[in-house]
Amino acid sequence: MSKTSETHYGNSFDAIKGGYIPPDKLRISPKLKLHKDISSKLDPITYEVIRHSLWNINEEHGATIQRLSGSPVAMYALDLNPSILTEEGEFVFFGPYMQYMSGVADTQVKWILENRSDNPGIRDGDMFLANDPWVGAAHQQDVMLICPVFHEDQLFCWVTNCLHQYDIGGITPSSFCMSAESAYEEGLLVPPVKIIENGEIRRDIEELYLRSSRKPEAVALDFRAQLAGNNTAKARVEALLKRYGASTVKSVMRKILTDGEQSFLEKMSRLPDGVWRDRSYIECCRPGDRRSHKVMISLEKKGHKLIFRNEGTVDQDGAMNSTYSGWRGSIMVALNQLLCWDQYFAIGGALRHVRFEPTIGSMNCANFPASVSTAPLQAMEISLYPTYNVLGKMIYGDSQMRKDIMCIGGTSQWPATIFRGTDQWGDPFGYVLVDPIGGAIGAFANADGISTGGQSRTPICKLPNIEHTEQTFPLLFLYRKEVVDSGGAGHFRGGLSAESCFIPHGTNSITHDTLSSGNAIPTSTGLMGGYPATVNVYKFHKDSNIKTLMQTSQMPSDISEVGGREEVLALRQQNFLQNPSDVYSVLWTGGGGFGDPFERDPELVRLDVVENMAVSHEAAKEIYGVILNGERLDVRATEIYRKNLKKTRSTHPRTIDLPLRALKGKLLREVTPSLAVRSDPDNKGHASKRWCCMSCATDLGPLSSNYKDACSTLTAPITAANPHVGDYRRYIDDEPLFRQYFCPTCGSLIENEVARVGDDSLRDIELKL
Amino acid sequence: MEHYQVGVDIGGTFTDCVVITSKGELLAAKSPSTPPAFANGMLNAMGLVAERLGLDFEEFCKRIKLLTHGTTVGTNTLIQRRGSKVGLITTKGHEDIIHIMRGSRGIDSRNLNQLVHFPESQKPVPIVPKRYIRGVSERVDCNGDVVVELNESEVLASVDELLAMGVEAFAVCLLWSFKYPHHELRIAELIRQRAPGIFVSCSVELAPKWGEYERLTATVLNAYIGPVTSNYLKQLDQRLKLAGYRHPLQITSCGGGSISVDRAIQAPLLTLDSGPVSGVTASKFLGQLIGCENIITTDMGGTSFDVGIIYKGRPAYNSIANVAQYEYFIPKVDIQAIGSGGGSLARVDLLTRTLRVGPDSAGADPGPACYGKGNLTPTVTDADVVLGYIDPDNFLGGRIKLDRAKSFEAVERVAKEIGLSVLETAAGIAKIAEFKMADIIRKTTVEKGFDPRDFTVFAFGGAGPVHAGVFSRELGVQRVLIPLNRIASTWCAFGAATADMLHVHEQVDIQSSPFNLAHVNKILMQLANHATSQMKQDGVISSKVHLSFSIDIRHRGQINEVEVELPAFGARAKPQLTKAGLDNLNQLFYERYEAIYGKGSSYGNARLEMVTFRVRARSATQELELKRSPKKRQTSASAAISGHRQVYWSDLSKSMRTPIYNGALLSNGLLVDGPAIIETTDTNIVVQPKQQLRVDALGNFELHFVS
Repeated sequence: MSKTSETHYGNSFDAIKGGYIPPDKLRISPKLKLHKDISSKLDPITYEVIRHSLWNINEEHGATIQRLSGSPVAMYALDLNPSILTEEGEFVFFGPYMQYMSGVADTQVKWILENRSDNPGIRDGDMFLANDPWVGAAHQQDVMLICPVFHEDQLFCWVTNCLHQYDIGGITPSSFCMSAESAYEEGLLVPPVKIIENGEIRRDIEELYLRSSRKPEAVALDFRAQLAGNNTAKARVEALLKRYGASTVKSVMRKILTDGEQSFLEKMSRLPDGVWRDRSYIECCRPGDRRSHKVMISLEKKGHKLIFRNEGTVDQDGAMNSTYSGWRGSIMVALNQLLCWDQYFAIGGALRHVRFEPTIGSMNCANFPASVSTAPLQAMEISLYPTYNVLGKMIYGDSQMRKDIMCIGGTSQWPATIFRGTDQWGDPFGYVLVDPIGGAIGAFANADGISTGGQSRTPICKLPNIEHTEQTFPLLFLYRKEVVDSGGAGHFRGGLSAESCFIPHGTNSITHDTLSSGNAIPTSTGLMGGYPATVNVYKFHKDSNIKTLMQTSQMPSDISEVGGREEVLALRQQNFLQNPSDVYSVLWTGGGGFGDPFERDPELVRLDVVENMAVSHEAAKEIYGVILNGERLDVRATEIYRKNLKKTRSTHPRTIDLPLRALKGKLLREVTPSLAVRSDPDNKGHASKRWCCMSCATDLGPLSSNYKDACSTLTAPITAANPHVGDYRRYIDDEPLFRQYFCPTCGSLIENEVARVGDDSLRDIELKL
Repeated sequence: MEHYQVGVDIGGTFTDCVVITSKGELLAAKSPSTPPAFANGMLNAMGLVAERLGLDFEEFCKRIKLLTHGTTVGTNTLIQRRGSKVGLITTKGHEDIIHIMRGSRGIDSRNLNQLVHFPESQKPVPIVPKRYIRGVSERVDCNGDVVVELNESEVLASVDELLAMGVEAFAVCLLWSFKYPHHELRIAELIRQRAPGIFVSCSVELAPKWGEYERLTATVLNAYIGPVTSNYLKQLDQRLKLAGYRHPLQITSCGGGSISVDRAIQAPLLTLDSGPVSGVTASKFLGQLIGCENIITTDMGGTSFDVGIIYKGRPAYNSIANVAQYEYFIPKVDIQAIGSGGGSLARVDLLTRTLRVGPDSAGADPGPACYGKGNLTPTVTDADVVLGYIDPDNFLGGRIKLDRAKSFEAVERVAKEIGLSVLETAAGIAKIAEFKMADIIRKTTVEKGFDPRDFTVFAFGGAGPVHAGVFSRELGVQRVLIPLNRIASTWCAFGAATADMLHVHEQVDIQSSPFNLAHVNKILMQLANHATSQMKQDGVISSKVHLSFSIDIRHRGQINEVEVELPAFGARAKPQLTKAGLDNLNQLFYERYEAIYGKGSSYGNARLEMVTFRVRARSATQELELKRSPKKRQTSASAAISGHRQVYWSDLSKSMRTPIYNGALLSNGLLVDGPAIIETTDTNIVVQPKQQLRVDALGNFELHFVS
């Protein structure tokens, strides 16, 4: 058994090369005794009291870290998360902070059980430090502290936390190494090491840990915060054991898992089997790169099992990658929010029925030593956000679960502004602008999304006040505003995102790097006919006349008013200077829309134009088909206009020219608001179950086909997707398109699709009824 | 001549008046509230007391030395969204501050459903729509230097546009105004020139704090409730003057004291949430009388459970408050609340067959099942009825009749679903609610570095004393006090009557260690001057003003600040630190920091940063004393037993014939051993087995745990 680790190495999925995937049965040294006793009688009252206590322990754990940790990146983005796991590393509770993080906690714990239980051993009073993304971490900056909790001499459970660190080394200050070609150029890699032994910090290990950081004091303070968090949680779990007995508490943990499992299974039983797919693109994987890189996700439901795959995703390349644990952790975020919210994110039970089948060496399941330090900003978001779409399409089929749908939210592909220099106090600084955490929440299936409602992957987060940012960094913000039309259009509109614009202040100049994607091709796509939100937009005006405007008290509302030379910033541009008269603005993506915008009540569109400043007059007309007379709605003109547009919608070319007929058979399932499955008495066997338009029942082909082939299809330039989408040629060579699929009879918008020239029409839904 | 100190609290249903006479006697009266003309109800309640004192109303008013009033007009205006149409003027480019909020959904992180389930949350309906917001060119930087002059023609144009749109109040909040207030003040001046008499709220006059979102929301909220509240207060002040009251009316504030009516008219925001805070004020006063310095105050009503902390005789403060999903700066007594009250609903999750209690509540309407108004889901109150803690025929002194059968049926339905007996289920519902209360108390104490075992729990509110014995025991608390039986139902009015005059002044000046002594002293002096001149305006001479100073300090580069209190300066001494005193601040910071966050949590090598300087100016107008009743020579409380009934005790897992005591008949020195129930006109006190209840000279009931 002492050779556990050696049997592990050499597999394609070991923690050296491909990323650790725990086996079904863990290989744990017999030196470590596990607590497995459960109590035969557990009454529902005791259960509820202990369950509540466990949730609270986890929350207090998070609160302790929040109070103690100092770094603004951790505090505003709440870039931390605590969790409680069973003795064998199954999730009991998963905190409500940065959702990426706990998604990797279970693999860390399982790896430690397999590889550390013999040597150096796992004992009461120990804690392990780890950040190796091939074992389980989003990226190197996310450092975990993992603490076993013992009952007598048996391992009872684990409490763990993860906290983003300011800087742990690598070629770029802040450790987001956007130009790294491999992990060797990035921050320190730490496979789990015992940093706390017998309740004491091992000075040698701590010094090793701090040695590569540009901000060792900040990292040291944060480490104490993590330590205090684990100590608090551990002490409170121990108090529970003393009060109720270990077997009772363990029974509660088991029941939380089985309850979560039952709830999951019950939901699965209400949904049809099928496959759902989504496709998106990352732009620019290294400085100078002008390609776009395809990212695929598919979700297969087979009975009560869910299987996620990333087949068809490009190979790892440049600095755009994540490891397997990052990919899996991303998917778990959406799983929790859409399927496990009613169990308060107790995902452990559900995970027993979820399989992950990655393609090894792909960009989001990259082999060592790929560069992964920017994973949470790109690779993980492009792994997470499309998961909302595939899960949304799966659960729409059940009328109860439909209300849980959430479209892709804002800050999909974080447009990073990485800057450094000398601050107004004469000290060196290096940082990432946190503003995009303001995000936006995508539309729901029955309500609009939430403007600047944060990033969905962090249910609680806090945008820093401008006064906080200006105190800490040599910046002066000209504006920070919500942006009209930034939310995706739809029957329900996506939340608006915002734009921040600033100049250097109190310093001679600032040195910048950019790091972004989703600037040419929208990544916050809508759902079921909803439109995409804005792309990310960097704007940079060199030698503007801002100083004159300031001297004459004529402040701008928009960067377009400051003059100067407009420069296109590349998506991984390094070391460019911003002088005090250079104005820089960043707009981040908004929330995707849900459903056909023509279904939106024209009065709500009017309010969005005149009251909420959410939709422009132009978009009201072009996208929503709503005619306004000044601030007033022209009801009659709107009706006629929408009718005419719908007629045009129905007349575009079709891939397969099926005869236009309405199916007379029974409605078998609502698939989306505008797509259904009906039986067809005129056909036999497989062909008798057919796709059709939800509103007019027009036949869209047999279930075995792609319904899109029978739709009236409009292929438009990508600029039709959202008013903020500009000329793609500034960033990439491949031409992106906006495809729209309409009912060939009534002109209902069934689905939109973002694709590149040459990419096939995505078969996004396959149903097995 | 006898004179009086009077407190009046206006609630949704009743207006309460409490009088403390110069002899230390207490009188209380209740009269129905009279919305929207609340002043009528107030004068009625005062009239009732005058009658009892045998005085005509005018004579009574003349003899009042200090009248302190707690108002909910501002709170109601907000809840009912009936505030003014506010025009907001801010720095150009930053018009969306209140819409962006802090880039979050504006949810309370204790609301788990909203937290984990996005479709259940939305931002608040904006109290200022975007079209009523104007940005003007101007800019100040973090040093307080003007980098863009104020563009006055833009200001005038904006004011005119907003006036033309019919705004009824203005809010003015500019970036960095707390470092350089002149632009804001100039805008206010221009507004007043254009629209004399209109309500104007300026951020620097209300909340000169660092952080534009919370400062701006404070300013806008103040303007939103401003006209309604200030009109109400002006009228009330007039009527009292006419009635013969000769002193300035005092208004309770969320800071834990009272402010002059003039200040409340300018800054009505200070009155928000002052009701629950008065409960803490009352507890603090009573604590002083009985020599109890560390108190956890708990107020359990129908829908919520509010917790406050008093440590070493001083309430715990918070600098950020929360209303209608908005967070705003205000120095206030910290009250933490959870949705756990008598009306909290108990439900079974059918899939997992588990029992959950709250956070949703049946409220007052339809209320618990036993109200018979159509709610069939059991609540905590229904559980209390089934267990026998509450007598359905004598609830709140018989004011409301309850239907025990309906409680029983409701609990029985749940019991069947989880397979327990009705009594076990009822006990379970109570227990889950009690544990949630213990949890929130733990959070408010432990997370502030306090150990609940060092505290006495004060339990008030209708449902509190029923459950206090259990949640206090869970926390390791040794003693529970159910205060002043005679006036328990007018507790907040008592808080108003005993409130000191209090003004809190704050100044932000961010500076890193090593600190400049002269600069620090200059700020302290400015604050002291500010405080004494405000008190002077209120008619208080400086020798009667007590100043206490504190500074919020943090590790440089960190976010979290710790309030460090400065040692008291002598009564006549200037508030000036010595070199040694300044050095000692570092020590005080580390002590406080480690008390909150644990030993070893601070990092001595890091530099420190001072952020907010604060003075609390307090003036106690007179020494108050309450009359104590002599100990009776009675040895047994049995004379107070009004009957017996079956009560289920979960500690003993059985029902027992249990004595019921009439609280009004229990006098000083009497002891009651649990299990027992004490009924008063306002609440029931449940004395669990192995607990003992004692009555003291002031009429407080104390629960002790017998080990």
